[in-house]
Amino acid sequence: MSFVGKEFNHILRDTRTLMVLLVMPVVMIVLFGFALSTEIKDVKVAVYDPSKDAATARIITQIDASEYFTVTASLDGEDGILKAFQDNTADIALVFEDNFYHRAVHDGDGSVQVIVDGSNTNIGSMAVFYVSSIVSSFQKDLAQEAALNRADGSAVTPVRISTSTRMMYNPQMKSAFNFVPGVMGMILMLICAMMTSVSIVREKERGTMEVLLVSPVKPFSVILAKAIPYFVVSAFILLLVLCLSVFLIKVPITGSLLWVIFVSLLFILVSLSIGILISTLVSKQEVAILISGMVLMLPTMLLSGMLFPVESMPKVLQWISYTVPAKWYIEAIKMMMIQGLGIRYCLDAVLILCGFLTLFTGLSVIKFKDRL
Amino acid sequence: MYSVEADNLIKRYGSNEALRGVSFRVDAGEIFGIIGPDGAGKTSIFRILTTLILPDGGSARVLGQDVVRDYHEIRRRVGYMPGRFSLYQDLSVEENIRFFATLFGTTLEENYDLVKDIYSYLEPFRKRKAGALSGGMKQKLALSCALIHKPEVLFLDEPTTGVDPVSRKEFWTMLTRLKQQGLSIVVSTPYMDEATLCDRIALIEHGRFLDTDTPAGIISKFTLPLLAVDGPHMPSLLRDIRQIPQVFSCFAFGDTHHVVLRESGLSEEAQIDLLHTALYAKGHTDLTIRHIKPGVEDCFMYLDTLEERS
Repeated sequence: MSFVGKEFNHILRDTRTLMVLLVMPVVMIVLFGFALSTEIKDVKVAVYDPSKDAATARIITQIDASEYFTVTASLDGEDGILKAFQDNTADIALVFEDNFYHRAVHDGDGSVQVIVDGSNTNIGSMAVFYVSSIVSSFQKDLAQEAALNRADGSAVTPVRISTSTRMMYNPQMKSAFNFVPGVMGMILMLICAMMTSVSIVREKERGTMEVLLVSPVKPFSVILAKAIPYFVVSAFILLLVLCLSVFLIKVPITGSLLWVIFVSLLFILVSLSIGILISTLVSKQEVAILISGMVLMLPTMLLSGMLFPVESMPKVLQWISYTVPAKWYIEAIKMMMIQGLGIRYCLDAVLILCGFLTLFTGLSVIKFKDRL
Repeated sequence: MYSVEADNLIKRYGSNEALRGVSFRVDAGEIFGIIGPDGAGKTSIFRILTTLILPDGGSARVLGQDVVRDYHEIRRRVGYMPGRFSLYQDLSVEENIRFFATLFGTTLEENYDLVKDIYSYLEPFRKRKAGALSGGMKQKLALSCALIHKPEVLFLDEPTTGVDPVSRKEFWTMLTRLKQQGLSIVVSTPYMDEATLCDRIALIEHGRFLDTDTPAGIISKFTLPLLAVDGPHMPSLLRDIRQIPQVFSCFAFGDTHHVVLRESGLSEEAQIDLLHTALYAKGHTDLTIRHIKPGVEDCFMYLDTLEERS
């Protein structure tokens, strides 16, 4: 226990490193936050409305009236959409179907399609979100009116308008919010693996490990004692990053926050075990930094799907990406945080992370020498 | 029972043989010095005895326990101070000693009387970071940390390297006092003048003990004539002395040259005359030549030269 206290002392006294640890995630998140600028205003909307009936007219007016959108063009056909995107006269396009009012009220399956210029990722998801909310509130109005019209109250068909979304140019909506899980994965991996391995290797380098070994304390508990403070620091940083993303960049955590935290803590443990494994293999701080930098950071950035979609990589790289723990973490967090899926959709990722944890801990136990 | 027994220890690092069969015994309550230059194999001996590395050959026992098999027991009962003072530079003096105390399941208060003599020097600075201490202070702190758990044998690997002469002297006084409390101490040093402060010493070079004896015993074995030569042109003088056939060896010791003559049966005056004549022939004048008593360093150089030539 006094060990853990000592480690905390080391971390807290090295104020420069501590500041870097705390400031780096903040800077990264804030930078991405500002670069993204999720505040959307005056999104240019092009409309293709072949039915031109009362319902479509009302939706268009409501959208135009909202502070987020300005209807800039009325198109004559779907072909005009591409051109409008290319000329930058529109950011999104609304496509109604023929006979919209009739189908919405009588058949109950009115549908409107939102086509998003995916190259402007900031706007995409927010715009879709606002359009759908406008459409769904209109749907409620329409349903009420339809019910009133039938004084007998025998509403036969419920009014339903479905909104479908299509992305052009960037169908997976890379970047934007998806960056947040990526940044989280990277920061946690960096702090846990690099800092733990460096702090253990520093003891080896300074010769204090020699004295620790020549003592009755079980060497592995020396190492565990090192991991605990970094676990606490990482958990704090996780909280910081989550707060920043929610309150500053306004990333909606659509899934369960509890599970997001659970999976993150699991990932922190995996990263710590990697750090410990590295520390058992090397004896120089520089080597530890190089290994955690080259062997961990690069694959984390390049192969985890944070920058480039894994699906469009060559098969070999895809296989390699399966061995990158951060890939699984980022995938799971994306699902839970952004897509709002439950934990059961990312069970495989969670199980694989557990597997990594067992593997790395096992390897470091085997590799750990209680001699020099 | 011996505190330390080493039998024919061998240690290799790749193709480099660091220890080539080292054997010695350390009695209880004895200061045993391992004297030799850097790279002679001193640290390897310490690391084997403190169970940090495994020997490639031979065996060793500390307090009757085998260093390979019973390493847990040994680690509990010995104190070790590695060559570089292994302290946490970013922790204060007090935090360091308290940390090492808890490492061994004890407290500073419990064993305060053990370290009192040494720690009292440090108490005025107990809030200071260990990294900000002077070399001598660091060394005292490291010694306190190695003593805090009441070890039965103390291993000190070059404790006085990089420490000022006053602190070195104080340090040896402390060791003598610890010895009087019944502690066995194994200490290594590259400083030959510290050798005479040990009860027994081993001279080590190239992974081999040249001799093991009391300092007086080692010196008494040195029977060849030893002379100190002083003159105006020291570098060329050294070269020229070595070319005299009657000279066994000659080394620079500070600002004089120590000359070992071969066994000749000449009287002391005749030996001095011989050197004067031989060196005058090579153009050296104004020389001071006198007989001196050998020190440990002379013995070391002599034994090392013998070893090299055989």
